[in-house]
Amino acid sequence: MRGLDRLLRLVGAALLTIFVAITINFVIFRAAPGDAVSNISAIPRASAQEKLALRHEFGLDKSLGEQYLLYLKQLAHGNLGESFSSRESVSHVLVRAIGNTIPMVLLGTAIAIALGVALGVFAAYRHGSAGDHVGVGAALALYALPTQWVGLMLIVLFAGVLPTGGMQDEFLIEPGFWSHAQDVARHMVLPALTLGVGLLGQFALITRSSMLDVMGEDYVLTARAKGLGRRRALTRHALRNATLPLVNLIALSLGTIVAGAVLVETVFSWPGIGRVVYTAVSTRDYPVLQGAFLVLTVSVICCNLIADLVVLRLDPRVRA
Amino acid sequence: MSFDLVTRPHASLGGPASMRARALARVRRRPAALLGGLIVAGFVLVAIAAPLLTAHGPGTRVGPPFAPPSAAHPLGLDDGGVDVLSQLIWGARVSLLIGFAAAAVSMLVGGSLGLLSGYFGGVVDTVLARVIDYFLVVPVLPLMIVVAAIWGPSVLHIIVIVGLLLWTTTARVVRAQVQSVRERGYVRRAEAIGAGHARIVVRHVLPQVGPLLIANTVLTVGVAIFAETALAFLGLGDPSAASWGAMIEAAFSGSAISAGAWWAIVPPGLCVAAVIIGCSLVGVSVEDALNPRLATSHLSRRTFRLIRDADD
Amino acid sequence: MTEPVLSVRDLKVRFALPGRPPLRAVRGVSFDLRPGERLGLVGESGCGKSTLAMAILGLLPPTAEVSGEVRVEGRELLALDERARDTVRWTKVAMVFQGAMSSLNPVVRVEDQIVEVLSVHRVARGRAARERAGELLEQVGIPARRGRRYPHEFSGGMRQRAAIAMALACSPRVLLADEPTTALDVLAQAQILELLERLSEQLGLAVVLVSHDLGVIAQSCHRAAVMYAGEIMECSDADAVFARPRHPYARMLVRATPTLDDGEPIAAIPGAPPRLDARLDGCPFTPRCPHAFEPCRDERPSLAARGGEGAVACHLYRSAPAVAAPQRETA
Repeated sequence: MRGLDRLLRLVGAALLTIFVAITINFVIFRAAPGDAVSNISAIPRASAQEKLALRHEFGLDKSLGEQYLLYLKQLAHGNLGESFSSRESVSHVLVRAIGNTIPMVLLGTAIAIALGVALGVFAAYRHGSAGDHVGVGAALALYALPTQWVGLMLIVLFAGVLPTGGMQDEFLIEPGFWSHAQDVARHMVLPALTLGVGLLGQFALITRSSMLDVMGEDYVLTARAKGLGRRRALTRHALRNATLPLVNLIALSLGTIVAGAVLVETVFSWPGIGRVVYTAVSTRDYPVLQGAFLVLTVSVICCNLIADLVVLRLDPRVRA
Repeated sequence: MSFDLVTRPHASLGGPASMRARALARVRRRPAALLGGLIVAGFVLVAIAAPLLTAHGPGTRVGPPFAPPSAAHPLGLDDGGVDVLSQLIWGARVSLLIGFAAAAVSMLVGGSLGLLSGYFGGVVDTVLARVIDYFLVVPVLPLMIVVAAIWGPSVLHIIVIVGLLLWTTTARVVRAQVQSVRERGYVRRAEAIGAGHARIVVRHVLPQVGPLLIANTVLTVGVAIFAETALAFLGLGDPSAASWGAMIEAAFSGSAISAGAWWAIVPPGLCVAAVIIGCSLVGVSVEDALNPRLATSHLSRRTFRLIRDADD
Repeated sequence: MTEPVLSVRDLKVRFALPGRPPLRAVRGVSFDLRPGERLGLVGESGCGKSTLAMAILGLLPPTAEVSGEVRVEGRELLALDERARDTVRWTKVAMVFQGAMSSLNPVVRVEDQIVEVLSVHRVARGRAARERAGELLEQVGIPARRGRRYPHEFSGGMRQRAAIAMALACSPRVLLADEPTTALDVLAQAQILELLERLSEQLGLAVVLVSHDLGVIAQSCHRAAVMYAGEIMECSDADAVFARPRHPYARMLVRATPTLDDGEPIAAIPGAPPRLDARLDGCPFTPRCPHAFEPCRDERPSLAARGGEGAVACHLYRSAPAVAAPQRETA
């Protein structure tokens, strides 16, 4: 069956890429210059003996090959090690952080897709006219503005109206579920909006491009010849065919989404994985950094896989 | 479909040289490319002429922190009491330098690897394809952050880091183009008569790949400036080089917002955006001109015109 | 004589190109089509026959400038606005394009594409529409349940037949078929032609068959119009054009058409068609015509019925008794 064959091939490729990512991840962080232990700021004046003990505890005195195998074994058990600075399990830290990042990023991406695709279709439909130029101009402007700058601008604009820092109000004591949810939601608006605004521009340009490619196809001409009118030809014929490559193109912008998340979380002090990466870098907390990197890379690989599977499901030309 | 023959009957005539000439004519005709070019050129000129345009060197304190805009200082002062406008002009030097240099690194690395991979194929190509795949999934900004943190901040380091992490898109584009050129008739004929690889590359492949590479590099300048701005914001820029990104960072950590000093935040962001827009306009216009999409859109609002006599 | 169902008068189409002289694709074409009649438009690539077909349905790009008249059942089409034209499209005049792979939407089921026209033009809805779509497919020799499939699951010939079924959905009076058999193998070609003939007889459907293959047209059409450089050079009964071509270009075209029993060598026509972006005075075939003489270069010959057998646009036949050119029927 053609479909099943392709599905297995996609999943297999994804697993292979994950394995490669794990290995490269290991190489980057264990082979990093500057001994990890000597960077632990928590130990001000450790004696040589204590340092030795610490090295042994973190397994840093073994050969690189042994460390690699140990790493794989621990990974298989879901053990990502311990944070150098807080001694907390890295998996705990990351799970908590990811749990905070995902809703915010999802909201921002949803806004970006909804508005971006609409703007892109609008511009493509009015190709060549003023509407197209304005649309492209707006999309370019939104794409070009630095994300952190947009965040700062939104803070300036909405300072009194919406919360501008953190994920929740620290002064709310023992809030009920709904008021807590509401509180988090209010805090989420500005960061998600910031993330969404930059993505919106990119998605609009991609959508417009995809639509223009499709609008010159023969079946669109046939749709006009059939007397269906411009709008119906646009929605039922052009758009339907443009959506497929669009899903793939959007998946390719995941790197931008991650970058945006890092910047947004720094501006708004949002306790997500972006901020974890940032703090881990400043404190040289390698286990956390390594774990965060792995999680981010694997997420991107999985999202790409999902996008490929979605296209596989939607495109009748490749279904079994 | 059938229109291509009618509306562009001579489009496929003429060899590669005439196609390039036509592409160049198409670029010149587009106002977007001109506008973009002017914007970037404008900023470059300002950066070069910085000493002439500013009264003080970069970072010289001339008044109290966050002084509002006045006649003497049209954009006010930043958190260090430095004139924002002159800082903006000096900052142009750093930001543009990093942007162009990083894009150049990316062009050299990506271009050569793409060329080798596309031309020779085989093992080299397979390995490179895997590497590019990896860079597609790894989060690039976090990687830049890690390398910058380990290596230490300096303008040179930033240039190399940004350049080395952006080469993959260039390599991909170049590789695809080289592969397609390689299959063309005149290249095969050259090979058949025994022309050496170097000769084929220089005489046949490069002229076809060159323009696309340049278009891609222009777009990379925009991305590089964006990346530098992000790194600077996260505190990983060169502390002695006040780029536009560093200005935004300084405003943020100097609490410009609570001081209500919008003039310290707005201008550098707008400058970054302007340069990126300029680069995008030029890069996209050149790309479009090189690979022209068929002008047909069957959904245009305007239709044919009915006139009295279509024969004069 | 019955009213023509399609009437084209002095149709001219030119394309305005930026920075270049305009391209005159169609330079004054007139013809009538009676109900149930099959007219073949034949000529080399670039002679304007496809443009002519597109012009009838108003499917030309914004760079096109058109003059002349196109009447379907007496109603003039070119001057209509898009909305009005949309009501005429498919219901009065339908079209089948070359290469049905790309003219059918690849992500929509074939049946749904037929149902769509039925629904938009208010012919049928829902279940009734689905049934009608099935009937139409059966009519062209495709089992109704195959309609649930997607275009890529059909062979080339089947796709073209599906496109014909779709074209007939709203019972049009005129069918424009633009190179329907090109890109098909000989067997599928024969099937399509036979299908068109049968449907045209059964339904009283008038057909304009555009092709570069004179053999195809000689086989299935009542009349043939030979086009060159945007003009009709000869227009007569199809058999007559094939057996006794009068215009020098038509003669060379017939000689260049391979037939099974001949044994005669195929003679290619020397030279190339004229550039369409240049002004053409006189007869456009002059540079390549072996019989060209004095008036050919400056005076454009008009297409007029001469000598009792169809119309020809050539100075060689000027002295033959003229029959009045087709008069415009007042609407």
